[in-house]
Amino acid sequence: MKFGINGQLLEVDLTTRTISRRAIPESYFEAFFGGRGLGMRLLYDYLPGSGTDPFSPENPLLFVPGLLCGFPFPSASRTCMVTKSPITSPFKKKSTYASTVSYSNMGGFIGPEIKFAGYDAIVVTGKSEKPVYLFIEDDRSELRDAEKFWGMGTNDFDKAIMDELGDRRFETAYIGPGAEHGVLFGSVLNTAARAAGRGGTGSVMGSKRLKAIAVRGTGMPPIGRHKAYTDLLKKTRVSFMADSESKNDWRYGGTANAIEFSSNRGSQAVKNYAEGSFVGVKNINADAARQQVWKRDLACYACQLACKKSGFAKGAYGGVVHEGIEYETGTMLGANLMIDDLNGLHTLIELADDYGIDIISLGNVLGFLTECREKGLITNDFLDGIELQWGQVAPALEMIHKIGRMEGVGRVASQGVRHLAELIGQHSSDFAIHVKGHELAAWNVNGYAKSIGMSYTTANRGACHMNGGKPKGQDQSALRDSVGICSFAASWYRDDLHPAMLINAITDSNISISDYDKVGERIFNLEKLMNFREGFNRQDDVLPERFFKDAHTIGPQKDVLISRAEFELIMDEYYAERGWNPKSSRPEEEKIKMLGLDFVQL
Amino acid sequence: MKVSRKDFIKGMLLGSAGVAVTSQLGFMTFSISGTNSIKAIVIDYSKCTGCRTCEAVCSASNHPVSVAGEALPGAGNPDFSNIKVWHFNPPLDIPVTCFLCEDAPCIAACPVKPDTVTGRKALYRDDVFQTIQNDLNRCIGCQSCADACREERGGVIFPDDLGQPQRMCTLCQGNPQCVKFCPYEALSFLEITPDMPLRMMTPEKINQLLAEAYYQ
Repeated sequence: MKFGINGQLLEVDLTTRTISRRAIPESYFEAFFGGRGLGMRLLYDYLPGSGTDPFSPENPLLFVPGLLCGFPFPSASRTCMVTKSPITSPFKKKSTYASTVSYSNMGGFIGPEIKFAGYDAIVVTGKSEKPVYLFIEDDRSELRDAEKFWGMGTNDFDKAIMDELGDRRFETAYIGPGAEHGVLFGSVLNTAARAAGRGGTGSVMGSKRLKAIAVRGTGMPPIGRHKAYTDLLKKTRVSFMADSESKNDWRYGGTANAIEFSSNRGSQAVKNYAEGSFVGVKNINADAARQQVWKRDLACYACQLACKKSGFAKGAYGGVVHEGIEYETGTMLGANLMIDDLNGLHTLIELADDYGIDIISLGNVLGFLTECREKGLITNDFLDGIELQWGQVAPALEMIHKIGRMEGVGRVASQGVRHLAELIGQHSSDFAIHVKGHELAAWNVNGYAKSIGMSYTTANRGACHMNGGKPKGQDQSALRDSVGICSFAASWYRDDLHPAMLINAITDSNISISDYDKVGERIFNLEKLMNFREGFNRQDDVLPERFFKDAHTIGPQKDVLISRAEFELIMDEYYAERGWNPKSSRPEEEKIKMLGLDFVQL
Repeated sequence: MKVSRKDFIKGMLLGSAGVAVTSQLGFMTFSISGTNSIKAIVIDYSKCTGCRTCEAVCSASNHPVSVAGEALPGAGNPDFSNIKVWHFNPPLDIPVTCFLCEDAPCIAACPVKPDTVTGRKALYRDDVFQTIQNDLNRCIGCQSCADACREERGGVIFPDDLGQPQRMCTLCQGNPQCVKFCPYEALSFLEITPDMPLRMMTPEKINQLLAEAYYQ
C-alpha cells in the first residue's frame, strides 16, 4: 500500500530516551491493515521471543490507530493498544512469564490525531527512570517530565495536561494511579472516560513510567482514488443520517440499552455471575439514567451514533460529573454487585475511571470478594474491615480506593480474581470468573455457551466479550479492530459500503471480500501462534467451574447448566473449523502456510 | 473571493440595505442599516456531541483538490477547517466558527487604512454574504485581527506563516456544508438577531456558561 497510510512508526525507547521514525514495510499493511492486526505484526517483531516478562523493558507497548482512522468515515476512530499481557497465564507454565498477547480498543480522538501527526503506530519500549510523557507535534517529538503528574487521577490529569500544553487541539491518552502502582488491570484512557480498559495495557504503560502521550498533527495521508473516496464518504454519511431505529437506539441509551435487555433474557452478570437477571434492573437502566443522570450525548470522531453520555449524579455522593453508565460499567459495578442505586453506581464508575482501572475486571474482583465474605471464606481482617455486601455502595467505594492505591487488601485484590482464589483457596476458584486469568465481561454464560461462552474461552487475550463465538465472527471482530471501525457501527458498513471498498478507494488497492476476510483470519492466527509459543493450549480454553455447577435461581435461564460433554463437542467443532490440532492446539502447517504466517518461530 | 453574478443578485435580495451601506462604510455597516440581515452559522450547543463531522466537511468544501482536471472536495483534514470543535472537561463540546459579529472587532483592529474608493481595510466584509475577507495584497500580516478575535470573540482566525488571517467562515457561498452534514442538527444557517444566546464570546466563556447549566 502506498496511499492512505503514513508508512511510518514512531519508535520510543524510554531507557535510552531515544526517539526515531521507522518505515513500516508495505506488506505489513497489506497483510494486517492497521490497529490490532498491524499491532500484532509489530509486537511479534519487537518481542525478543517467548516468555518475555510483560513488565520488563523489552515488552513493547503499541498505540495503533485503525487503518481508516483519520478519514472521517463515521465511527472510524478506533485505536488499539497492543502489548504482551500482564494478566494471563497458562495452566502449565513453560516459563515464569508466559502470557497471551493483549489488545484493547478505544474510541475517541487519539487515533485520528496520531494519523494526522504522520504515524501509523507508536511503539514504546524500555523503561524510564522517572515519570515522563511523550509529546508529539507533527515531526517534533520529545519526552517530557511527568513527575508532577504522577499519582494524579485521570480526570485531574486530563485538565492539567491541557493547561500545560496550552492548546486544546492536542489529543491525549494516559494512565491513572492504579496502573502507576501496579494494578494488573490498569486501563489507558482518553477524554477522561474513553478507556482501552481490558488486558492490562495501562499496567504495562505504568511499568514503563509513561504517564501519557500528547499528540497534535496537521497532516493527512494522501488518498489513492480521490473521486471514489469522496463518493463513498458522502454515501456513508447519508446512510448514517437516514432515520433508523438502530441509530436512534444508540443515541437514546448507548450500550446501556442492553442493561434491561440482558437482564430480561437472563444473560447479565448478576451477583458474581450466580444469576442472569437483576431484580433492581429498572433502577439502573437507560431510562433511569436518561431521566436522572445523563446530561449530554457524546460522539467519537466523525461518528453519528453518539452512544456515549455525560452524566451528573446528585444525591448522597455529591455532584459527580462523569461519562456513563454503559452496559459493561453499569452491569459490572451495578447488577453484578446487586447495586441499584443509580447515583452511587455513577460515582463508583467515576472513581474507577479516575484510578484508571478496568471496570470489568474490577467488578469481578469486588463480586468475588463479596461472595467470599458472604460464604465466610475470608474474615473482615482480610478485607481491612471493609464490609463488602451485595447492594452496598460505600464499601465498594472503599475497596476501589484500596485497589487503586494498592494498600492493604488492595495489594492482592489488584492482581485479579485468579490470584485471589489461589490465595483464599477453599474451592473459591469455582466462582473466580476468568479465562486464562482474564476476567469475564458483563454477559453471563449459562444458556449462551455456544455464543458468548465460546467467545470467552477462545479469545486470544483471555476472556473477551467482543471476540465472537465462531471463527468467522471472530475474524470479523479482528478486522474491525484493525480497520478502526466501531463494532456498534458495523451494520452500516456492508454491501456497497463494505470496508474493503473503503480501503480500496483510500489505498488504491484491489482487495476482494475474500482477501479481506483472510486478513482477519491471519490476524487471529498470528495471535494464536504467539499464544501457543508461550505454552497455551486447548486446556486453557475453558470456562469457569461456576457455569457447569451453579444454575441461576431466577429468570429465563433458571436451572440451565452447561454440559461439559456438550461444550467439549462445540470446542471440537471450533478447532476443526479453525484448522487447529484438537489436542495440541497448534495451528496446522497447512493453515499457517495458507495465511502466510510461516515467519513465526515456534 | 470571486462572486458570480447570480450570487451577487442573491446577496442583494438577502440584504440590499446592508450591502448598499457596506461598500461605502466598510465595517460600520449593520447598525446603520437598521434591518439586520446577516445570516451566519448558528450553533445549538445542546445538540452538539463533539463528533467534528463539521470540521471534516468544512475542510473538504473549502479546500478542494484538483484530480485529473476535476475539482473535488478535499480529504477533510480538520486542520484546514473554518469551524473548530473545542472539547472541554467536564464533557462539553463547543463548536465555534466566525460569528460574523455585527461590530467585527477583527476589522476594527485592522490597522490598514480604508481604501478611498471602496472604504475597505485589508480585512473587510464581503458584499454578498457579509463574511470576513482578507485582501492578500494589502494585508501586512500583523495579526491584530486574530488577536482581537481571540481576546474578544470566538478566536476563529488562525494566521498562516506569513501572518495572513485564515479560517474565517465562507458560508460555502450560501450553502454551508457543515449545516448540511451535521448529523445532530446542531448547526443552522440563520439570520442573526441580538437575542441569540452564546454568540460573540470566547469558547472558554461559552464553556463556562454551559458548564454552569449542565453540571451544577
